[in-house]
Amino acid sequence: MPHNPVDRRAVLGLGLLACAAPLTSSAAQLTGAGMVWRANQSAWPTATDLRASYVYFTADEAAFVEAACARIVPADATGPSAVEAGVPLFLDRQLAGDYGKGARWYMQGPFGKNTGTQGYQSQYPPAGLYRVAIKAIGDHLSRDNGAPFHKRPAAEQDAFLKDLSAGKVDLGADADGKAYFTLLLQNVMEGYFSDPIYGGNRDLSAWKMIGFSGARYDQRPYVLAYGKPYPLPPVGIGGRPAWSVKG
Amino acid sequence: MRRTVLAFAGAALVAALPARIVAQQPVARGLVPPAAATTATEPSQVAQGRYLAILGDCEGCHDRPGGAPFAGGLPLPTPFGTIYSVNITPDRETGIGAWTADDFWNAMHRGVRADGAKLYPAFPYPYFTHATRAESDALFAYLRTLPPVSYRPPPNKLPFPLNIRFLVSIWNALYFKADPAPTTGPTRGQHIVQGLGHCGGCHTPKTFLAADKTGHELEGGDIDNWAAPALNADVRTGLGAWSTPEVAEFLKTGRNVHANGSASMADVIVHSTSKMTDADLAAVGDYLRAHPDHAAATAAPPPDPKVMAAGEAIYVDECAACHAVDGKAAPTYFPPLPGAAVTQSRDPTTVIRFILSGTQTVATDARPTPLSMPSFGWKLDDAQVAAVATYVRNSWGNAAPVVSASAVAKLRRKVAAKPVQKPSASI
Repeated sequence: MPHNPVDRRAVLGLGLLACAAPLTSSAAQLTGAGMVWRANQSAWPTATDLRASYVYFTADEAAFVEAACARIVPADATGPSAVEAGVPLFLDRQLAGDYGKGARWYMQGPFGKNTGTQGYQSQYPPAGLYRVAIKAIGDHLSRDNGAPFHKRPAAEQDAFLKDLSAGKVDLGADADGKAYFTLLLQNVMEGYFSDPIYGGNRDLSAWKMIGFSGARYDQRPYVLAYGKPYPLPPVGIGGRPAWSVKG
Repeated sequence: MRRTVLAFAGAALVAALPARIVAQQPVARGLVPPAAATTATEPSQVAQGRYLAILGDCEGCHDRPGGAPFAGGLPLPTPFGTIYSVNITPDRETGIGAWTADDFWNAMHRGVRADGAKLYPAFPYPYFTHATRAESDALFAYLRTLPPVSYRPPPNKLPFPLNIRFLVSIWNALYFKADPAPTTGPTRGQHIVQGLGHCGGCHTPKTFLAADKTGHELEGGDIDNWAAPALNADVRTGLGAWSTPEVAEFLKTGRNVHANGSASMADVIVHSTSKMTDADLAAVGDYLRAHPDHAAATAAPPPDPKVMAAGEAIYVDECAACHAVDGKAAPTYFPPLPGAAVTQSRDPTTVIRFILSGTQTVATDARPTPLSMPSFGWKLDDAQVAAVATYVRNSWGNAAPVVSASAVAKLRRKVAAKPVQKPSASI
């Protein structure tokens, strides 16, 4: 076989170039000159105003969501209900914002039935799915005996939600009941356990329940403290009650 | 605002001084010592002048962002109004190209322009008067070698009557003594600190007319909403706990085991001290560490235990990640707080401002990473900032007067545009 060092060098050189190109660009990003620091600058989250009323939910939607939240996470000895923890307010604010609009998602067709291994498949962004599904649930229940969801006894509410989660409730062509329940359950958990700055997890109650210490940057002093109770209470992005002098 | 009003009152008061006192100032052109023997500019003289421009941090004021070096135009906020630094390139029309070495000496030594008009003491001639005639000539020789830049800075924004340059004579009568026989000082360090280095420009407390308070040199100043720490032998608020090599390291690299340079000092480190010789830095360190502290120790009331408890909660949750629960932090990366001068400064402005607005460590050739502290002004309200500031000033052996929420509110209005965002009503 003829030996051809020139070709091999050329190939190696090209390979080196290909490797070097991304290295130089990332090196440029790491130099101090490009890092701009400004006083008073922080990427702070928008806090939820807990005093305000719902901005997305209609009165009927709020009644359904509150009733469903109370059944998905009822109050017991370990912690408050989802309603007491502020989850409906969290849901309202999330649906009114970019999450509700699916602002960062691909929301073009084709829209098909979820095969079970796919992500979100609805033609509606989350806010739209809440609107369509709650309306369809109301229509569905009024066909039975007229009582809306939030006026039914807890046992009936539980049974309906179980049917919804199992795909046994036909909400018509426009709304997939199982898909909606999956989304609602996910969102209720998010609201219950997210930082209180977003409206849920009021008084850090969910974090106290599970012993999560919250928005802390550094656990080094406690990592090797085997057999000792963790000393710090939960703290949210916005702080905790001990930050202020009670007076 | 209060200071401006005071300044007017002061100007009116001193205007009533007998003309005799005002006339005591030496006539500008009468007492000029002879220029250095050589009339032709020597390369060694230019090299010396270039180094003296570094010592004097000329570029700290005479460079504006985006402008040519030494061409001036940087707005200098003073308690009385904005003064723009002048063009000191050798342009004949807009710079000092038409000046002689005598004219330059008169500016440095007496605060007088070539046309005889008074310079405002924003140009620190009360310090530069300590420079020798040979140093003044070398500096001038260096400035003559710069490319002339045609640039005229904006007019100063000073209210009447402060826009009348003649009134500087009154200020001079009160606060300025041109020394016809310039001292070189007993030590090199003193010569730098009191002369071209003009450290007291920021680090010495000021009178209501922005002159240095006599007898309180380097006890810590209040300038442009910063508290410049004391540069003296005080162990808590000064450099008493630093060794000379540590002072030199701070000035050379921007950091040492005690502190990180930032804020207004960052410019000084970049343009001036990081380029000084090791011998000069050591001389400065020796002088500052030995400089006595005359400030009267005031017995501050002890902090309220409830405020300390709130401050500790905030500190453990928000500050301990970098500064550590025991405050010892990671020296030369994140500055330790026990014993820190900025933390225990009598005037808490800087520690409040760091918490409100954050800060960034200066980047130097030796320490190129500009480590930064984030702003906490958006999540802590005034009482919370005051509590955590009081806590760090009075923990781990530190002791300093408590910080009030009203002091935080006042500074927040001046330096932090964003109002505090109350994160949530429920916590």
